[in-house]
Amino acid sequence: MEVVNTLVLAVLATGFLMVSRRSLDAVIRLYALQNVLLALVSFGLAKGELHFVLAGLALFVLKGVAIPWYLFWLLDRLEVSHEVEGYLSVSFSLLLAGLLIALAFRVGAVFVLPEAPLPQGVPVALSLVLLGMLSMVSRKKAISQVLGFLALENGVFLLALSESHGLPLFVELGVALDAFAAVFLAGVLIFRIKGEMGHVDTARMRALRG
Amino acid sequence: MLYGLLLLPLLVFLGRRDKGALVRLSVLLPILSALLAPLLLGQMAGPFRLDGVGLFYLMLTDLLFALIALFARGYFSEEEAWRFYWAGGLFLGAAHGAYLAHNLGVLWIFVEGSTLASALLVYHKGGARALEATWKYLMLGSVGIALGLIGVILVYALLSGATLDWREARALVGSANPEGLKLAFALLLVGFGTKVGLFPLQAWLPDAHAEAPGPASALLSGTLLNVAFYALLRYTALMQAAGLFPFASGLLLAFGLLSLLAAGFFLYGQKEYKRLLAYSSMEHMGLAVFALGLGLPWLALFHTLAHSLAKTLAFLGASGILALSHAKEVGRVGGLFRSLPALGVPFVLALAALGGLPPFPLFFAEFKAVEAAMRYPLLAAWYLVGLGLAFAGLLGPMTQMGFGPGRPWKAQGLDLWALWLLLAVLFLLGVRPPVEVFQALEVVLWTR
Repeated sequence: MEVVNTLVLAVLATGFLMVSRRSLDAVIRLYALQNVLLALVSFGLAKGELHFVLAGLALFVLKGVAIPWYLFWLLDRLEVSHEVEGYLSVSFSLLLAGLLIALAFRVGAVFVLPEAPLPQGVPVALSLVLLGMLSMVSRKKAISQVLGFLALENGVFLLALSESHGLPLFVELGVALDAFAAVFLAGVLIFRIKGEMGHVDTARMRALRG
Repeated sequence: MLYGLLLLPLLVFLGRRDKGALVRLSVLLPILSALLAPLLLGQMAGPFRLDGVGLFYLMLTDLLFALIALFARGYFSEEEAWRFYWAGGLFLGAAHGAYLAHNLGVLWIFVEGSTLASALLVYHKGGARALEATWKYLMLGSVGIALGLIGVILVYALLSGATLDWREARALVGSANPEGLKLAFALLLVGFGTKVGLFPLQAWLPDAHAEAPGPASALLSGTLLNVAFYALLRYTALMQAAGLFPFASGLLLAFGLLSLLAAGFFLYGQKEYKRLLAYSSMEHMGLAVFALGLGLPWLALFHTLAHSLAKTLAFLGASGILALSHAKEVGRVGGLFRSLPALGVPFVLALAALGGLPPFPLFFAEFKAVEAAMRYPLLAAWYLVGLGLAFAGLLGPMTQMGFGPGRPWKAQGLDLWALWLLLAVLFLLGVRPPVEVFQALEVVLWTR
């Protein structure tokens, strides 16, 4: 259990760092690292159950390798700056991130159900969800919003692991497939946005009102 | 056999990029599955099972899809048609999955799948405005549905990780921790409510409906919103089985009423007619959620049926008007009733139906809801205020587009009989609402 605890804390650290870094490459690498850590948490909880091993492997292959690779490829092809552009300064977003994590630990107790196999994972999962939302609303580049969504989705995965040994495997796989399709679709859209408007700045997309 | 029904819509890809073949397949496959589905009632396979409520929505979706696919033949040119029919096939497949699923997790997967497929419908052929609408839809829809997934996880954990099959879940849920279930239901309502278009989570809805090509808007409003609403129905039934309906009812009533009032304000002074129709969808989904909150699932089912028919009719009419006039604004279209009755009469009557005028079925549904809401006079009063606002918002555009000044149009290349067919069905439904059928469906939803 000691190892799993350390891993969960490391997951939280990657989530926090993803908010603070200013280079998209670093954020994608942190995301990949987060998935490797989550896969390890899944292996750590396995205790010989095949379900966890398979879910962890799928996570590792799909989100630890395929999605980061796709995002790097996208970033290369787009020919835009690799800087994370946001509405908030670094120090202010770190302050907000700290507050959100504190909030998640404060209300986390409400979400912990009796019989949860990994109760200490619940506040960390909520932190990831809240930090992902923070990234989505405070970032301008379309691709960093996708990264925010992915971080949020990881929070949901960790919640499933902590509360109930994960969802049934076929549901888990379907969910992962949906996430992958969403990211792929978002990537195609980002290409079109760049082609159509010459930038990938969602702050400048405001033709539709009322 | 159920797997066959699930995969049937995907056969549309056999048409490749040939428009004629795609139209034939997109009309015949849904009709075939609507004929096949009643025979499969009660069958099960893996996480799929078809019951009465699922069958009702499945057939509604299939028949509307076939009608829209037929209408779209005259709307899309040879080169761009395949985008619509391919995305449509994917969407119909996801909708089939959602209505056949008998497992809360699988239901979630297909609702999310329908979001992705319909994002393709919104995007269609691009341009800055369509891209912005699609992006907004994809991001908001994905976050909403992710919150819904947290709800699914909590429900699963509360059932001690035993099952997500809802017949089993209904039996077990009585012994689950009620506080946890309340939290889960609130998250599920926010998650699926985003896709239903409930206030204040509706931001994507008007943009997506206004920027999608006309037949795609009809699909979104007439069929997609129902998919998420169906998920809400199932979870409300689960709450009822746990004895927590009073809690769920409070949330549903509040969200439904807020959506109605907000939509009433947005409708008022809306300049583009497709956005107007989009806000009217928000209004009617709010009303359906309200009816569910009153503890009248049969009325909610009836309301979604009437809304789907009227809104499909209105959006097909609107896409005809847009194709002929190239004007998006209400003020630039006028005199349709006189100069082009084949299109104008069904369109104006669809607006009247959406405004809740008799003899159309939405009048009956709203009347029944007010009657039931009389138990709480304040609630009924706000309901009437919202209906009045929404009606006032629709009345101006209706008179301008139907009878106002405008130059005459000529209809070319559009099959308008689909509009008349929908109008006839709507009329029959309003004159003789098949209440007993819906009450039988309510029993299925509430007890099995």
